[in-house]
Amino acid sequence: MNNPKEVTRILFENFHPQAIHLFYAFGYAAIAVFIYGCYVQIRKYRRGKPDGSWGELLHRFIDMVKTMVTHRTLVRRDKSAGRAHGLIFLGFVLLFIGTSIITLEYDIIEPLIGVRFWYGNFYLWFSLVLDLAGLGLIGGLIYMMYRRKWLHLPKLDYKRVDRQLGDADFDRSEYRLEDWAFLWSFILIGVTGFILEATRLVWLSGRPSVWDYRMWSPVGALIANIMQTIGVTPEGAGALRSGLWWFHGLLSLTFIAFIPYTKIKHIFTAAASLMFKDPLAGRRLPRVPDEQKVAGYKTITDLTWKNLLHLDACTKCGRCQEACPANAVGAPLSPRDVILSLREFANHTLNAKELPKEAELDIHGKDIGQVFMETLWSCRTCLACVEICPVAIEHVPLIVQMRRNLVEAGEMDPLLEKTLQTIHKTGNSFGESKRKRASWVKALPFEIKDARIEAVDYLWFVGDYASFDPRNQKVTQGFARIMQKAGVDFGLLFEGELNAGNDIRRVGEEGLYEYLATANIQSLDDCEFKSIVTTDPHSYNTIRNEYPDFGGTYEIQHYSTVVKKLIEDGRLQLAKKLNYKVTFHDPCHLGRFNKGYDAPRDILKMLGCELIEMGRTKDNSFCCGAGGGRIWIPDPVGTEKPSQNRMKEAAIIEGLEVFVVSCPKDLTMFEDALKTSGYEGKFIVRELIELIDECMEYDFPEKEVFADVLSLEPHLAS
Amino acid sequence: MKILVAVKQVASLDEDFEMRVDKKDVEEDFLLYDLNEWDDFSLEEAMKIKESSDTEIEVVVVSVGPVRVDESLRKCLAKGADRAIRVWDETIEGSDSIVIGRILAAVAKKEVPDMVFAGVQSSDQAYSSTGISTAAYLDWPHAAVVADLQYKPGSSSAVIRRELEGGMLQEVEINCPAVLTIQLGINKPRYASLRGIKQAAAKPIEEISLADIGLSPADVGAGSSMSRVRRMYIPAKSRAQMIEGTIVEQVAKLIQIINEFKGA
Ligand code: SF4
Ligand code: SF4
Repeated sequence: MNNPKEVTRILFENFHPQAIHLFYAFGYAAIAVFIYGCYVQIRKYRRGKPDGSWGELLHRFIDMVKTMVTHRTLVRRDKSAGRAHGLIFLGFVLLFIGTSIITLEYDIIEPLIGVRFWYGNFYLWFSLVLDLAGLGLIGGLIYMMYRRKWLHLPKLDYKRVDRQLGDADFDRSEYRLEDWAFLWSFILIGVTGFILEATRLVWLSGRPSVWDYRMWSPVGALIANIMQTIGVTPEGAGALRSGLWWFHGLLSLTFIAFIPYTKIKHIFTAAASLMFKDPLAGRRLPRVPDEQKVAGYKTITDLTWKNLLHLDACTKCGRCQEACPANAVGAPLSPRDVILSLREFANHTLNAKELPKEAELDIHGKDIGQVFMETLWSCRTCLACVEICPVAIEHVPLIVQMRRNLVEAGEMDPLLEKTLQTIHKTGNSFGESKRKRASWVKALPFEIKDARIEAVDYLWFVGDYASFDPRNQKVTQGFARIMQKAGVDFGLLFEGELNAGNDIRRVGEEGLYEYLATANIQSLDDCEFKSIVTTDPHSYNTIRNEYPDFGGTYEIQHYSTVVKKLIEDGRLQLAKKLNYKVTFHDPCHLGRFNKGYDAPRDILKMLGCELIEMGRTKDNSFCCGAGGGRIWIPDPVGTEKPSQNRMKEAAIIEGLEVFVVSCPKDLTMFEDALKTSGYEGKFIVRELIELIDECMEYDFPEKEVFADVLSLEPHLAS
Repeated sequence: MKILVAVKQVASLDEDFEMRVDKKDVEEDFLLYDLNEWDDFSLEEAMKIKESSDTEIEVVVVSVGPVRVDESLRKCLAKGADRAIRVWDETIEGSDSIVIGRILAAVAKKEVPDMVFAGVQSSDQAYSSTGISTAAYLDWPHAAVVADLQYKPGSSSAVIRRELEGGMLQEVEINCPAVLTIQLGINKPRYASLRGIKQAAAKPIEEISLADIGLSPADVGAGSSMSRVRRMYIPAKSRAQMIEGTIVEQVAKLIQIINEFKGA
């Protein structure tokens, strides 16, 4: 090797000192602009309310780094984009570290203590790694350009579903411009970097300490070769270099200065968003402090700093919109647009030095940046958006907070309002008498214990739909038979049970939720039991994740886990095998909300069914449309319902016999959709319990259920 | 300027109810209580006037009834009423709607409102006379079944539209102060969120006795009423049955039923 100290990168050779000073001046200016931009952003976040997501910072940090390094959230459901982003990310990080190392030596360590390290082998490896990083960066960027230009992905179309052609913020073409400006400037930085490297090589081709080691920067060497072939002389290269050097340098500095003002800021905001991720987001909604006058979010300053940070973290990737069931059926809702609207609103109002007047901070309404009430009411709180967002944006808590404010102002569908009043009055959404809650037990050939008066192993929290809906009552009776057959010691709260409140909370009626939750907790606390079991995923979610905030911490299991165990332990004998070809629909509140993907599938296998998965399954399951209180709000006529959309998806499965669900609301929604979407007769919808029930051989005598019911309700006509 | 809104907590029947031992009413256990639907509209009408006026307007709700009525009054407070008054005395039990009107009139004399609103009727008893008798005791003009109201606070008259049979409306100018009984649909009542109701618990409900409004037990109760309930019961049901099937089957079934009825 030549003198290793000479094998290093030529930095400012041949530069006039004034030029160097000028460059430094630009550098400092860029940093100043960058810091000011960051300051404005942080001032904006600080104008939000406090948020509880602090604590366990180290743990959060490690988690964030893991997510970023593995890119696991980015490769989900879009491998190519994820990998391309990975290359850009890696390239950027390495080049950034590389540049920092140079600065560290040249501007800090060497002038201060006279030590150099950036030469010899270290320099050569450094050079190789950075060359490859640059190559990856450019490759990734080219793919992104290709994707934007030629793939025509609907999720990259920024046109808004909640605005009309002609509205000021309808097509959002400025976002498209920004995307392209970003891609082009980034790729230009990369390409000029390589050409610069090549010109340096050609220019110094006479100097062995440079030329002999050119293969350590292979891309530069290749370009240098090409340059030489086309006849570029060392002097020519030298001249080209100074021009290009300034172009590359200034472009890079501008890029850095622009970070806090453009989409590039997602480097920081996305990282921070990931770091403050709430694993229970949407599963456990935030409480409203008792002393707070008005519930929910009315103005932009009602948002917490974390909400405001989320707004800036969105990279507009559109994955949330693609997964959104409301969006899929043409409802005026895109979770991305909710985020972007509010982001524009926040930037408009909170970036200024002085906070505007209260009236100008209202986020509800029909103006630019405001969120429409129709948009908020379209959400089914299915969590598909939160699940897939690569940067951990939590749309659902935000949407519910805004709905809370709409509820307070009475701005909701009249039918929903009626339902809320009914629930307040009767404790259930059917408006039935409390006394009738357990009337389904009358048809059973055995008695069920009253958990309020005797201790039981399992307290069965039945839920409204399973208790009152006639079709679901049959399923409920089936589950009772199964539990009885397995000899499980279980009991009910009978009329002591109220609606669990899950959907009421998601509607945004927090006061009513608190009333229901505290009443149920009181009833549960008065009983003696080991675990709660339920067939209703909605009740399951709120009791499991939200009741603890109100002092009710219980063990609760979805029936699928309990039954699976009973079969495995041999306490439930399957008298026959079903060889149906089935598909399984993951209920949002069991699957995505609580990760109960496996137990129902395992049971289906034990029953002998052949399970064919639909395209959208498990964490990408497609909501039936009933969530978030939408079961009480009629869907607009003439448009497709999410449940019908789902039926279409199931119908693709060749020879499908049974569409299996495991949620009372699903049964109602899908049996209806089966008829209205025209697949009746092709396959049937069944609750998993019914299939289990079918495999049972019961020894208790069956009562004449139907005769009983009919004699009670003769067909009366007036 | 003040508007007095008379409200009632009404009962609805629960499933499988039982009658009281004296057979004059349903056993209280089987009743579900809520604010009378009409009163949502009359309160909303008062609130609308309050909210659209530049002068200070006080909306006072009043109800005659036992402690349970507080829950309904709280709902009114949650919707924005400024004050709530509840009149009660054991001896009021059994009063008819005319006597209730007398009590309300006594409250009005004390409160001196510029307008009194009541619902057209209550959904449980449906006398449709409480508001009217209040007007009579006050000797004020009254209008029933008001479906539209144009009233400027402080003015000496208001223009109202009354709902008549057959979709007809009657436009009437009425001198104020007056008692109006408000019809459903006159406005869109606001929603009282549960948090609102809870927060309204902080606002006091004035409990007043008969003496406070210059009445005595002799003025109220079944004894002083002009009508008394004798019994409440479910009439024997006429049994109607839908006959299904083809024409021939239906005829056959019909003949069978006639024969059964004749005792053949
Ligand atoms: S929760 Fe579901 S319906 Fe609501 S915005 Fe997200 S994906 Fe759409
Ligand atoms: S909210 Fe998340 S998923 Fe949706 S566009 Fe933004 S970054 Fe993508």
